[in-house]
Amino acid sequence: MNIQVTNRDNFTVVSIHGRIDTINAENFNTHLMHILDNEGVDHLVLDCAGLDYISSSGLRIFLVAQKKISAVQGKLLLSNLQPTIKEIFDISGFSTIFSIFPDTEAAIKSK
Amino acid sequence: MEVHRKKLKLSNKISELETIRQFLAELGVAWNIAPPVILTLNLVIEEAFTNVVGYAFDDKLEHTIEIVFDKQDNILSISMIDDGKAFDPTQNAEPDINLPVAERSVGGLGVYLIKSMMDQVEYKYKANKNILIMRKKLES
Repeated sequence: MNIQVTNRDNFTVVSIHGRIDTINAENFNTHLMHILDNEGVDHLVLDCAGLDYISSSGLRIFLVAQKKISAVQGKLLLSNLQPTIKEIFDISGFSTIFSIFPDTEAAIKSK
Repeated sequence: MEVHRKKLKLSNKISELETIRQFLAELGVAWNIAPPVILTLNLVIEEAFTNVVGYAFDDKLEHTIEIVFDKQDNILSISMIDDGKAFDPTQNAEPDINLPVAERSVGGLGVYLIKSMMDQVEYKYKANKNILIMRKKLES
């Protein structure tokens, strides 16, 4: 798993590549919480185009990010979920608590 | 009738998830299982395996967790066998997936994913071993 961070309009876009499983979930958590807590980002897009796999360890981190951003009335938007990842979000009930867009462009324009 | 069986022996370490991932990639090729199905199997095995590693053992010793894959015609059975504390994950309370974000927790989501993504999940305790059997019908 690795991430790339870019800025577009007033959103920070985190592009996730690879797998988020129990082995590397803590690493992903550290990066994401640094962006939210230390950099104070409250408008975030998680671009999941390169996210191939996620288990409940990774879902937990998405949920924590959503809670933090909701608490400060910010925006967390997800884009480019692969069909297998979308299915896991649907089953978990996560599709109703996240704003999911077909691509990052659509996510940013939705503001 | 076609019958296939493969076994994987793992130690109770989270780093074994990488062994599982590689094993499943090879199984997909050997048994002609589509990549999205292999991802689903990886997910349910990870959830079951991390529960066993995290909660089954009170000692600091190394334990063996065995995973047996059986394919009979188009029914795949995955049995996970460990010698930890007796625990039936199928009796876990299901998470309320309709709660608003502030009240949601991820507790119990792993077992819920297993039950949702497999066709049948069965638990047995036999000869001091936990046996979790997860079955899925494969598209032929």
